[in-house]
Amino acid sequence: MESPSSAWKQWLAENGPRLLLFARGWSNCRQDAEDLVQEAILRMWHHQADHGGRPPDLPLVFSTIRFCGLNHHRSESRRRKREESIIYLNDFQDVWLDPVLEEDEEALILREAVQNLSQKLREVVVMKFWGGLTFLQISETLAISPNTAASRYRYALEQLAHELRRMKEVRHAQA
Amino acid sequence: MHKPDPVETILARLMPPGLSAQGQCDIETMLDELTGPVVETPSVRPSSSPWFRRVIGGMGIAAAGVAAAMIFPQESNPSPVAAAPYQESRPEFSLIGESDRIEYTTDEGWLEYSDGSTMRAMRLTVVEENSIMDEETGIVMQVSEPREEVLLMPVSAF
Repeated sequence: MESPSSAWKQWLAENGPRLLLFARGWSNCRQDAEDLVQEAILRMWHHQADHGGRPPDLPLVFSTIRFCGLNHHRSESRRRKREESIIYLNDFQDVWLDPVLEEDEEALILREAVQNLSQKLREVVVMKFWGGLTFLQISETLAISPNTAASRYRYALEQLAHELRRMKEVRHAQA
Repeated sequence: MHKPDPVETILARLMPPGLSAQGQCDIETMLDELTGPVVETPSVRPSSSPWFRRVIGGMGIAAAGVAAAMIFPQESNPSPVAAAPYQESRPEFSLIGESDRIEYTTDEGWLEYSDGSTMRAMRLTVVEENSIMDEETGIVMQVSEPREEVLLMPVSAF
């Protein structure tokens, strides 16, 4: 019989990237996002102990990452206030998504545009597109109606399309 | 059938990277530790105290010996000599007292969700105290385990 940790490791191998991507929306860097994923998995482990110990459903994990992220965001805001004199530098290699093809200009533009979406829109796009959740599952995760989830998704796609057109025009003008 | 939006077609060319090797290793190690040699018993709950982990570990080995003896009956190469010492040395513990004590609370203020709902957060420091008796010696041990919790209370009116 498969041990619980083996089943969880297999589940992690399948879903780790999408959980990490979602956690990026609640973190300042990749390392923090991985910590958030680990914290959520620990909470899920204890939660699932009452449900046969099997790996959890994705909507529940997204919801838990969001909850952990809210708590972290709160304490992080306080910490930043205390350390206002420190300058935080961006890690320009620290990207959320990797293009499948090399030199894919459109994909690179959209990668940045996705990161710059508002939190509300981005989490719906991430859960729908890379998480594979239905609008009903997203609505349950975010405590919104399925119609609102669908509207946010459509609105996000419109914003991404607009940003893609704008950036192409800018680059065309520069060429 | 849903026709993909042109933007979706481009998004499909972006994939989320996996966890770093270190991150993956950390989580897998955690999962292994969580699985660990813990035995589900109705009377004793596992604790993070190192000495108690050792006791639970001993119980795990003893229980495994008993289970092995039950699963593999005599026709499948029995080894009663090996199983006997486990049974003899198996410690018996029982939980005779259990309490949760709130040490202090801190008001963490308001949290606002993206959907507009507001929650009030309270951070609690709770100490869980268990009294465990070794039935063989009669020794009672106190196990204290502090933990921190954040309680979120929805605010419907101001």
